Order: sequence, then structure tokens, then C-alpha cells
Amino acid sequence: MTLELYKSEISGNFYSLRGTSWIVAASLIFSLVAYLLLTDKELSLLDQGEMLFTLSEIVISLGTIMAVTSASSTISTEIESKTFESLLLTPTSSRQIAFQKLLSITTSWFFLYVIAIPYLIAISNGTNLSLSSILYIGIYGTLLVVGFSAISIALSAKLKSSKNSVMVALMVLLIMLAPSIFFATSLKKSSFGMAIENINPVSHAMNSLDNVLVDNQQSLFEQASHLLEVSIFAVICLAILTYSSRRFEVSPVV
Amino acid sequence: MTAASRGMRSLVTESKDSPASKVNANDNSSIITSGLSKMYEKLKAVDSLNLAVDSGDIFGFLGPNGAGKTTTIRMLCGLIPPSAGIARVAGFDIIRESMKIRSVIGLLPESSGFYNWMNAEEYLFHFALLYKIEPSVARNRALRLIEKVGLAEKAHAPISYYSRGMRQRLGLARALINDPRIIFLDEPTLGLDPSGQEEIRKILLELNREKGVTIFLSSHALGEVSSLCNKIAVINHGQLIAKGNIDELRAQAGVSNTIVVRVVNTPAARLQLSNMPFQGKTSEEGSLISVTFSEGSQGPSNYDNVIECIIKQGLQVYDIRRPDTSLEEVFFKFTRPKNVDSDAEKNGGVR
Repeated sequence: MTLELYKSEISGNFYSLRGTSWIVAASLIFSLVAYLLLTDKELSLLDQGEMLFTLSEIVISLGTIMAVTSASSTISTEIESKTFESLLLTPTSSRQIAFQKLLSITTSWFFLYVIAIPYLIAISNGTNLSLSSILYIGIYGTLLVVGFSAISIALSAKLKSSKNSVMVALMVLLIMLAPSIFFATSLKKSSFGMAIENINPVSHAMNSLDNVLVDNQQSLFEQASHLLEVSIFAVICLAILTYSSRRFEVSPVV
Repeated sequence: MTAASRGMRSLVTESKDSPASKVNANDNSSIITSGLSKMYEKLKAVDSLNLAVDSGDIFGFLGPNGAGKTTTIRMLCGLIPPSAGIARVAGFDIIRESMKIRSVIGLLPESSGFYNWMNAEEYLFHFALLYKIEPSVARNRALRLIEKVGLAEKAHAPISYYSRGMRQRLGLARALINDPRIIFLDEPTLGLDPSGQEEIRKILLELNREKGVTIFLSSHALGEVSSLCNKIAVINHGQLIAKGNIDELRAQAGVSNTIVVRVVNTPAARLQLSNMPFQGKTSEEGSLISVTFSEGSQGPSNYDNVIECIIKQGLQVYDIRRPDTSLEEVFFKFTRPKNVDSDAEKNGGVR
């Protein structure tokens, strides 16, 4: 299988204003957060593990938002700009198109992840958390990015409209991110909150990071149940993409 | 055998409501369809289409807007599945073997999008690699095609700067990047200036003559269709309503064939013309006399007779042409609603 489409997607991402602005924006946000965590009077009182956890949440949230935004418009933009027809005419199957696009979005996540690494090292300086934070953010970030991107690509192909697919995909992501970011501890511990947390892959990832970085439960074995849940989410999303990319079609013209 | 070498010859074969395997088409067929239909919810975009296009044909596919031309092309290219019926392109089934079809066809859609951040060379090279062509071959082929479609000077400018005509040329180059056996063209000269149109026509004829490429041409430029195509089909409301070479279409539509001969206006010319066994409508155009001969009860049975008589009379021929309007007339006969047609005739209006 040729990876030509993947290569062109990557170059397209980095030549485009959107691709470069994401990288610049991510660097600025990481710098600002790290600066505030280390210098702000109140924030600097936080435990280093909590600081790391805050930065981890931001890295994963930014990564998934970037991935969902790109993925949910990746096919619909081609349909809207009428480039999809010529792409479908090449002997590249719909499934290859979908998975090469997924691969390119995952690559963009890796760029973001690599940018975050120096900040993670800086914040965790003097603790034994550097490696764990890099490892777990890598694992959870990748699984969540793959899962959300897969769903978003399927949505993009189904809705054939960037506006609609970006809106729907972002809404799904925000609903998933909401419990971890916006739910108060009391709400999280209510039966409703716990039910949401149990089925929400983002909550599993965040809870696991909390365990690793704040409670110092760093072994993979201790996080196995969370890892399994997030992996299952990614696998289900990949299965949905595999099914929905059996055959992409162009919009009807009558 | 190419369209040009065969000239006008017998046409599309048909077998109503029969599977493609039973269509009365010879082994030479590049495209065969049988009962090919496409429904969009309750709308029938294409309705039981039976066609056969021979290898090396330049096949004109005509019809008004919304007749089902683009939907037919998309089904034949394997881009959308038919709702009913079957079709084979280059011997491959359009449903089960669409990937194989994609390797041997090229398509220039009516309006095509491009990756604006690339330049023409990068764009063609990218598509060549998607067709799994070796990089060194791909690079050479991309450069050759850029030269061929007249984009060599702008080969390294980003596509975002290209005019509509330049994009159309680039689209044609993309359609040819995989060296296709069959090319589908949907309005290929739309937006091109006259010299651009002429160049595209030349390229198409060259491909057909030199490589025997079958060309399936959907166009509203009737002059272009009549000058390029050896076979024509007319479709309306998704249904095939006529097919044949241009003479057969004229006969089916009941439109008489006309030929215009212009001869040098000499004192003897009028006398020589009046001595001819059949008479045409004459008019003086300065130093020339224009004579329009129509085929019919009083006119010649074929145009070879006209030429032969003119030569016998010793007339000095300036030019001989068949007006393009004849295909236009045929097209309107087939596609205009009957009441519009009769109203126009009543009013003596020109259609």
C-alpha cells in the first residue's frame, strides 16, 4: 500500500495556515500555562504532581480538539472543494483514504506531543514523574486522538458538510471532556457522575493520569482497567471507521 | 481502429431489458450498459440506459441540464453504484471491479477541485504516485503532460493562481496521467478561450488516432461534438432517446441534411449552377456565390453527387461546409417538449 495520500496530507497540514497556527497556538498555551504554574503566587503553591496533571489535561484536551477539528473536516472539505471525486478515481480504496487521513492526523498529534515534552520535563523537574507523565500522556493522548479522529472522519464522510461535521464532532468531544474539566468533585461522586465517568473514555484517561501524577500510582498494572477502557473506546471507533469507509461516494448531481 | 479512421459507421447496439452479457455488442466494446438506472430517493436520474461504445470511438453524450449525463458518467467510472442494471467498462463490471476500472480510465469532471497549495508538477506527480506509477516514470509523465496541455510556463506556480482555463487544462492532464484506455470528459472545453478549445480538441484527436483511446464526451458545445464524435447518443429525463452517427440522428429527428458550397462568382457561374440536376438556395456574398443544398425529395441523395456535379460543371469551389446548426436542430427536436416545438413552428421562429 502506497502512503502517498498520507504524505500529501501531512504536507498539506503543515503548509496550511491551520496546521501551522495550531502548532504556534499550542506552544503559546503550553508556555503560558507553564509560566503561570511556576510563577503565579497561588498556582505555584500547588503540588508538583497537580501542576503536571493540570498541564496533562491541557495537552490532551488541545490534542483531541485539534484532532477532532481536522478529522471532522478532512473528507467534507475534499467534497466541498471538489477534490474528492478525483481522489476516488485513483485505485486507492475508500478504506485506504480513511486510514491514511487518520494516520496523518495522528502524526499531527505526535508533533503537538513532542512540543509538550519540554514543558512536562520543566514542570516535573526534581520529581520522579517526568517519564511517567511523558509515557501516560503519550498512551492516553494517542488512544483518544485515534478514537475521536476515527469517529470524526466517519462523521465527515457521512455528513458531507464541514460546518455540520465539525459542529457535531466538537459537541461530542466537549460532552466527553466536560465531566473531567467542569464537574465538581461532589457531582463526580454522585451516581449520575459515576455512571458518566464509567462510560466516558476521557474521564478514564484523566482519572488514570490523576492516579499516576497526583497519587503516584505509576505502574501500568495499577492503571490496567483505565487503559483497557480507553483502548476499547479506540478499538470501537476504529471499527466504526472501518465499517463506514466500505465505500465513499460523491454527492449526487441531478 | 480509431473513430477518425472508421469515419461514420453503424452505431450503438441495443438490447432492451437484457443483461449486459446479452447485449448485442461486439467484443470490441469498451463500454456496455444494460438497463442501467440510478434512483435518488423518488427521483429517477438515469432510467434503463442501454449503450455500447466500441473501442476507439469518440462518443458524444448529449442532453439538457439534469438529463442524467453526469450521473451516468459517475456510474461508469465506479464512483456511484447503480440502483439497477449492469455495465462493463473496459471489460470490468462497474460494481464488483470498480478498482480495476479506475486504473484504466481517466475522468475530467465538469467542475474539478485542485490542491491549491501544490503546483502543476507536484499535483500531477502526486496523482501519478496514487496510480502506483514508478516515481521516475511519474516525474517524466507529469512533465510531458504539462507540456502537452500548454502549462509548461506556469508549471511551478501554485494552482491557486491558475485561471479557470488553466485549471481545466490541468484537469485534462490529470485525467491522462495513468495513460488511460478510456477517457470520460464532462464539458472539457468549458471556460476555455477559443484557442484553448482548439488545443484540447487537438489533444483528444491525437490520443484517439495515435493510441486508440476511447473518448466518452459529454458536452453542450454541439459544434465540438459534431466535429469530434463518430457516434452520438441523446439522453433526456434519464432516458436514452436517440443514438447514431450524426446522419442517422438527423434522419431519426426528421431534420434534413444541408451542405453549403461557396463558389467563385464569375459570369458563367450562375449559368453553370442553373444547369445542375438539382437546385440549391443561392445567395451572393461579394465575390462568392453561396449555395445551400438540402437533402430531400428535390435535393441530392448524397453529397458525393453534389461535389461530383460541381466539379463536372467546372465551378471554382471556394469552400464546402456542413453548418453546425444541424446538430443543434437535431438536439432541440429530441429534447424540447412537443408543445414548445409546435409553438415554435407555428410562429415560424428559429429554434
